[in-house]
Amino acid sequence: MAEYKRPSSLMPMATGYCPGCMHALATRLVADVIDELQQADNAINVVSVGCSALNLYSWKGDVIGSAHGRAPAVATGIKRCLPDRLVFTYQGDGDLAAIGLAEIMSAANRGENFTVIFANNQTYGMTGGQMAPTTLIGQKTTTTRFGRDAQTTGYPLKMCELISVLEAPVFVARYALNSVKGVQDAKKGIKKAFEMQMAGKGFTFIELLTNCPTNWGMNPLDTLEYMNTNTIPYFKPGIYKDKEAEA
Amino acid sequence: MEKRFMKGCEAIAEAAVRGGGRFFAGYPITPQNEIPEYLSWRLPEVGGAFVQGESEVASINMVYGAAATGKRALTSSSGPGISLKAEGISYLASAQLPAVIVNISRGGPGLGSIQPAQSDYLQATKALGHGGFRAMVFAPATLQEAVDLTYNAWDYAERYRNPVMILMDGCLGAIMEEVELPEMKEPTFENTEEWCLARVGGRTDSHMITPILPEPALELLNKGKAMQYKMWEMLDTKVEEFMLEDAEHVVVAYGIAARVAKEAILRLREEGYKVGMVRPITLYPFPKASLDNLDYSLVKGVIDIEMTIPAQMREDIELQVKGRCPVHEYGRSGGMLLDDEGVYDAIAEIVKGGE
Amino acid sequence: MKNSFVFSGSGGQGIMSAGIMLAHTAIDMSKHSTYLPEYGPEQRGGSAKCTVIISDDQIVSPLTKKCDTLICMNEQAYRKFSKDVKEGGLLVLNASRIVNEEVRDDVKVLSVPVDDIALELGNVKVANIVLLGALIGATGIVSKEVLAASLEEKFKTKKPEILALNMKALERGIELGKTLA
Repeated sequence: MAEYKRPSSLMPMATGYCPGCMHALATRLVADVIDELQQADNAINVVSVGCSALNLYSWKGDVIGSAHGRAPAVATGIKRCLPDRLVFTYQGDGDLAAIGLAEIMSAANRGENFTVIFANNQTYGMTGGQMAPTTLIGQKTTTTRFGRDAQTTGYPLKMCELISVLEAPVFVARYALNSVKGVQDAKKGIKKAFEMQMAGKGFTFIELLTNCPTNWGMNPLDTLEYMNTNTIPYFKPGIYKDKEAEA
Repeated sequence: MEKRFMKGCEAIAEAAVRGGGRFFAGYPITPQNEIPEYLSWRLPEVGGAFVQGESEVASINMVYGAAATGKRALTSSSGPGISLKAEGISYLASAQLPAVIVNISRGGPGLGSIQPAQSDYLQATKALGHGGFRAMVFAPATLQEAVDLTYNAWDYAERYRNPVMILMDGCLGAIMEEVELPEMKEPTFENTEEWCLARVGGRTDSHMITPILPEPALELLNKGKAMQYKMWEMLDTKVEEFMLEDAEHVVVAYGIAARVAKEAILRLREEGYKVGMVRPITLYPFPKASLDNLDYSLVKGVIDIEMTIPAQMREDIELQVKGRCPVHEYGRSGGMLLDDEGVYDAIAEIVKGGE
Repeated sequence: MKNSFVFSGSGGQGIMSAGIMLAHTAIDMSKHSTYLPEYGPEQRGGSAKCTVIISDDQIVSPLTKKCDTLICMNEQAYRKFSKDVKEGGLLVLNASRIVNEEVRDDVKVLSVPVDDIALELGNVKVANIVLLGALIGATGIVSKEVLAASLEEKFKTKKPEILALNMKALERGIELGKTLA
């Protein structure tokens, strides 16, 4: 039986995340995979702006903070200079799918050889729960008090679907972290993405559907069911592109 | 030393490579396109990397990432693009990353004009981005000076862990002159290995590079930088003082404007008028002492010549002149170039005013 | 001794490359030289102008209002810039395109139908070389041999006919330039 211990890339401290927040789980999954691949001394974590920035303080390995939305550009600069390092960005949905849309699409389109971990909780967590590009129709936020209205704000942006139509990316997949199966699949997906990067295959993109108990105004357990009935039907988990499987 | 007849932008690009530059990211904008065009083939020749970014914003952030690896990184742009890079330049200053940023300036504000102008002095020296930070700003007047300043720019950037700007207008970017190219400096991690993300110098420990800090730490950084800016003023101010000994009128001009003004001064000297010049080579730190220490019992007037209207250096000059003589200004703007006759006439009118 | 030359015309007439060749040749002769191009925003067909300064001493200002010699490849350029040549200076005009224009009487004028000559030689593209030749023939500002050597260098990777054509254009231009009294 495997020993359950702290991953070597995490500081011996509590994360800054709210109780029940899946960011902590997502970070842990990434750190576990890094250990399994024995990459703790080789990985570089490119942190973005938003709740994901809390990673800066709890990450023990090489870590760099970047401007809002710009993590894929920062990772491009790093990876081009240090091609042998395992480089990944860790970004939320406001960061990646709104202010950083140009950077993520362009890095994906260039086929930059790094991995993007995209935590999608359908809200701007750190700034107080405003509407994100991924907020569901009808979902209440501090800037959509009566629920998101497609007439004036359009529809939630499906990043895996968008990125998978590009030619260059080699692995694009979405996982939901609200079930044991989802967590296990997500870990396999992250591992596959990292392995593909280490083999020099190209751009890999992992979307993790997460929750935000604080800004959704729910207790953490209720968020699991909410995700089943609302989030997952719209953001369908699955592998959207796998060039290895295609080959 | 190798001599070559080169275009300004290409001379800067080659000097950057010879100065150890190994990463460039940038976005097309006139009049600096020859820099990325040149580096797109030149950097791979020396094992460096070139990325054409999807935007100015992305490009400066790629430079931020590359600088974090301890390699020598640069970007170039022109006024409107530098505005877009402002965020990234501020992050470089905050995360204490060395980088070189070239601004081949054009007419402004707005999209302005693609023709040359010295319209970005205030942006370069006062507010390259939010948050109250400074960067050294080098303003060459000849291509040789541009080559030498660019070649050495990372030495300053790395010493102070701060971005450095090379500011020159589109005239100098486009002009061809003969330059002597210095020897190739092999890039090392000598000045960056202590803090960079690369595992160099036998290092195995990991590092955090961050543009956000806990409040007490940020205040400490701010205080350290404030001291550093004072140090630059004492150690790194560069200025050309020309015919000041007996000068009764002193021209202040930088870059291309200084060259046009110098010709006018030589002509006035031939006519017997005592005119000299202070030419800031570093716009920041500004050569305060050169103006403060003038003999104001002799100096009847200071004339600020710039290829922009209104003159942007004027406040910096006035702060040193301290009302001891009148300060005049003359310029052309919007992409209309200064010329020898216009500048001569403007200075002559003031110098001969009493006659 | 400082000499300034303004080459003017429209994009595609070889104005810029003529300017660069002149400046380069001066440098090869150990003189000092600056070359400053001015472009419009168009990629093709817009106005083209460049200033070349040649001097025995270091060049202080590369920007001049008036030039010693103005070279105009078309009427548009002539109308725009003819006032910029110094009194007693030299105007070199492309007579194939500049007709019926009133010419200043306080300057020397060398009028050469460079387009027609280039066509006669076989390719209108060498009009700028004919022009450069005429300029050298009239002023002796740089040596023919050094310019010929740099043409050889420039075309060494091209077909030999191309170099031969350019050399012929240069010779022809020089002959015509020498006719300037």
